[in-house]
Amino acid sequence: MASEIRIFGIRHHGPGSARRLVEALDELRPSMVLIEGPSDASDLLPMLADPAMVPPAALLTYAADDPTRSIFWPFATYSPEYQAACWAVRSGATARFIDLPASWRLAPPPSEESAETEAEATDGAPEAEPDAEVQMLERDPVGVLAKAGGYEDGESWWRDIIEENPKPGPVFAAITEAMTALREASTPVQGKEAAREAHMRLEIAKAAKETEGAIAVVCGAWHVPALRAKVSTTADRALLKGAPRQKIMATWAPWTSPRLAFASGYGAGVAAPGWCAHLWVAPRHEIATRWLARIAGALRDEGHLVSTASVIEAERLAVSIAALRGRPAPGFEELREAAIACLCFGESLVWQTIAQHLLIGGEVGRIPDNVPLAPLLEDLQREQKRVRLKPEALDRELAIDLRSESGVDRSTLLHRLTLLGVPWGKLADAGRSRGTFRERWVLRWEPEFAVRLVENLVYGPTIAQAAAGRISAEFDKASDLKALANLVFSALTARLPDAVERGIALIEQRAAQTSDCLELLAALPPLADTVRYGQARPTDADQLAFLLTRILVQGALALPYAARGLDQGAAATMRGVILSADGAVTLAEIGGDEQKAWRQALRALIEDTQVAPLIAGASARLLYEAEELSPDDAAMLLGRALSPGRAVADAAGFFEGFFEGGGERLIHDRGLRDAVDRWMQSLDEQHFTEHLPLFRRAFSNLDRMQRRRLLDALFGRASAGLPGRTLAPNVEEIWPRHLERLTAILTAGPANE
Amino acid sequence: MTEALRLPAEKIHAAELEALKADDKERRPPGWALSPRAAVTYLMGGKAANGMPISAKYVGDKRLIETAVATLATDRALLLLGVPGTAKSWVSEHLAAAVSGDSTMVIQCTAGTDENQVRYGWNYAQLLAHGPSRQALVPTPLFRAMEAGKLCRLEELTRMGSDVQDTLITVLSEKMMPIPELNESVYAVRGFNVIATANNRDKGVNELSSALKRRFNVVVLPLPDDMEQEIAIVTKRVGEMAQSLDLPAPKNVSEEVARVVAIFRELRGGATMDGKITLKTPSGTLSTAEAIAVMIGGLSQAAFFNGGKLSAEGLAPNMIGAIVKDPVQDKVVLEEYLETVLKKRPDYADYYHMLSDLT
Repeated sequence: MASEIRIFGIRHHGPGSARRLVEALDELRPSMVLIEGPSDASDLLPMLADPAMVPPAALLTYAADDPTRSIFWPFATYSPEYQAACWAVRSGATARFIDLPASWRLAPPPSEESAETEAEATDGAPEAEPDAEVQMLERDPVGVLAKAGGYEDGESWWRDIIEENPKPGPVFAAITEAMTALREASTPVQGKEAAREAHMRLEIAKAAKETEGAIAVVCGAWHVPALRAKVSTTADRALLKGAPRQKIMATWAPWTSPRLAFASGYGAGVAAPGWCAHLWVAPRHEIATRWLARIAGALRDEGHLVSTASVIEAERLAVSIAALRGRPAPGFEELREAAIACLCFGESLVWQTIAQHLLIGGEVGRIPDNVPLAPLLEDLQREQKRVRLKPEALDRELAIDLRSESGVDRSTLLHRLTLLGVPWGKLADAGRSRGTFRERWVLRWEPEFAVRLVENLVYGPTIAQAAAGRISAEFDKASDLKALANLVFSALTARLPDAVERGIALIEQRAAQTSDCLELLAALPPLADTVRYGQARPTDADQLAFLLTRILVQGALALPYAARGLDQGAAATMRGVILSADGAVTLAEIGGDEQKAWRQALRALIEDTQVAPLIAGASARLLYEAEELSPDDAAMLLGRALSPGRAVADAAGFFEGFFEGGGERLIHDRGLRDAVDRWMQSLDEQHFTEHLPLFRRAFSNLDRMQRRRLLDALFGRASAGLPGRTLAPNVEEIWPRHLERLTAILTAGPANE
Repeated sequence: MTEALRLPAEKIHAAELEALKADDKERRPPGWALSPRAAVTYLMGGKAANGMPISAKYVGDKRLIETAVATLATDRALLLLGVPGTAKSWVSEHLAAAVSGDSTMVIQCTAGTDENQVRYGWNYAQLLAHGPSRQALVPTPLFRAMEAGKLCRLEELTRMGSDVQDTLITVLSEKMMPIPELNESVYAVRGFNVIATANNRDKGVNELSSALKRRFNVVVLPLPDDMEQEIAIVTKRVGEMAQSLDLPAPKNVSEEVARVVAIFRELRGGATMDGKITLKTPSGTLSTAEAIAVMIGGLSQAAFFNGGKLSAEGLAPNMIGAIVKDPVQDKVVLEEYLETVLKKRPDYADYYHMLSDLT
């Protein structure tokens, strides 16, 4: 007598079917559990039940010669496959994967077939799911049926329609029935799908020969009718002919709940992992209450006032909406609408502030220590070989010419590793090489880098993918424009075009929402660097350049308002930001209207009396240097700003703003010099003494030559200043001696007397 | 034929209500004229059991109406929130017509509304002649709705003083209204409930006390999310209003409507149509009703000052008036929009120039 074979059609990541499956397995007590999954990774299956394994975790298979071709099979606690594996290990049954071996999917696509969706499955992104090439119907028939029934959430449909049956057996019978009807109505499967089902049939038959006990088959509901179909072994074998040869590696990788979500690009994902996890954890009759309580908790954490009475009302409303829609119990949508109406006072925006956290969750899985963790390290070795760089424990300098292909490859690898927190190479002249074709690195490999690298497996199996994943996580954390701009720059140097694109989109969004002028302007320098960098390397920086000009215009529009009424500290910060923003404008070679807008903003600062004099002075200098302000105008402006009618502190502020870092102007510019000269002479002694530190600061960055030329200009023959007095011809020799004597007098103090 | 300018909803749509009622086999909450599901059909449109088409009263998200009807079926009161011009009163009237078959028990709340208009007043002649008695008591719509088990509508709840609003608390939570003068109480008959509407844009008018607020389930009615739909609404309303104001409508009205609505939608939505550029939003509403007002203003300017020519020149000042409500903040928003978006669109060049000249 052949063993009893029971096929359980489940919903991938469906907590409802997971619960029913466990009940059914307890009842059947099979000696063998066959699970839909790559059959060549079966030996890893028992590890899933290891107590140190904390889902979400993903089975990762990749081509041994090229880890970029990889596939993930993620499992959550509420995935029926995971529960089946745990049950099997718990009960001592044999667990085995029966789907097509991963080697089939990971083999390089034969050239004539490359037009098929194959290419998509092999590019290694998380979309390269077992079901990537099948349509939504095949992927999640329950979800499709639920949508057709007006449900947004497949789990509520499952509960309302399928689980009305009190017994676990009939639940799966009902599913089989529904799927049979569905598949009869649709076209028969072909190609890879047919091969998969043939493989599963063969594996089931093989298992039946090995055991006397019952066999439980756990597979996607869609496949149930096909697995029950009577197909001859020969026909199935024929379908499996020509299996591609491909050596594969398999391991477990930690996964995160956001990446279980459909929105993350995972084709077989669920809409709301958080909701699924809740369904799995909460007792059945308390699902609504506990969910609403969690919503209330989340709202309270956000600072909203939510009373218990409101939670009660929300549940009553949910029940009454469910009744209106003819559903036996409130599901996901009813609870959401009730929560919005009762707890968020109708504001769906409030709901959205908590929805992300509640629905997606932030769990990160953990995997046991004994799991092979190789792919990233292997990829590193391969990359090292490719770009011909050896890890050495001692410092080694490396100059890279970015105009050559190999140079770019090396630079990219080093930048990506830096992103992953593995600073194998450090940029020796960081920040200064951005516009050039040269990078200088200092390389040094530390043993702990291997461990740090492996920790990045959660982001992806290869260095490129992990770097992209990690930077994408950083994007989520970055809060201001400057941080975002810096990240975009990192992504650009690490050649992660998708991340660059995402970063640009984020910057754009953030730029539109912020009205903080400081933040806008502070983002300009890194952006300008990025644009410059993009010009020196093969990247497409057009969009960034557009963004740069846009942020500049926005900043310029906001500047005249933002610069008003600042205190001393804030004014100093603002001046710094304005100066570096102006530097960015020059660096990025922005011209035309945008430049004009920027200069208009600077001009507005000069003319506005509410703007701190320090800022006005700095703006005046920038305009003067840009030759927007003629020397005559500048002299007049200085004269006005420094005229006796103004408070001395204001005049000094303007002076500081104008001259700090720009003292050499005075050497060449007579009009300017005269204006300054006049102002200085008009100061009375007390004020002059007060301002001495200021003058010293302004002129301190002149070297000896410059100082001398300034003095020449002031007292020399050509000068009109201080008539009748000339500088002693040997002043250069005398002055040090004077200084020495003075110093001696000053430092000796009263002791000498 | 009737002399009235406009009849209440239950009279206008009496045939539809009749048809829905005729074959309504589902359970009705006590005091309801229709079952909840039939009430949703009445509002959203559809077909009655006898095949009679039911016109859509509300164009928008069905789930909102479902939440509203489900709320009325519990004993919680319903608060419809929304910016001006989002059909709050319209929905409340039709809900009352569908649920109680009577939409006439309305209290229009204003700053001058006092407790006597919410609870009950006195007929002073009777009061003086016979002392306090039920005969001397003048019931309000709320009072009568409680006695009759019907829906009472409160229009613009937040316009009424907070102290007067709070008289509703007992009515809503205990479903009774004490009449201390007579040592009696009115107990609400099953079927009684309250629909209030309020404008959520004018913050701080008379903000609901949190005690009152949590006795309401709130449904926010949004602005239309479909551009074509909005353009159609504006064009239609502008046509109607121009006619009643005797304004000639130039040929290019619909083109200008499309452009004005496009600008309004972009500013209101905080993003350009193609979704490529995110924008700041001005402090004003910029609802459909505002777009209508801008168009009417432009039309009247065109008719009386511009020789009948409708152009950006006439519309721009009206648009500025609608967009710039806060002279500092909104001006920056508009400037930014002009410089980053409108400037680059050749087909909006006239608007760009007129608007930037005026800001």
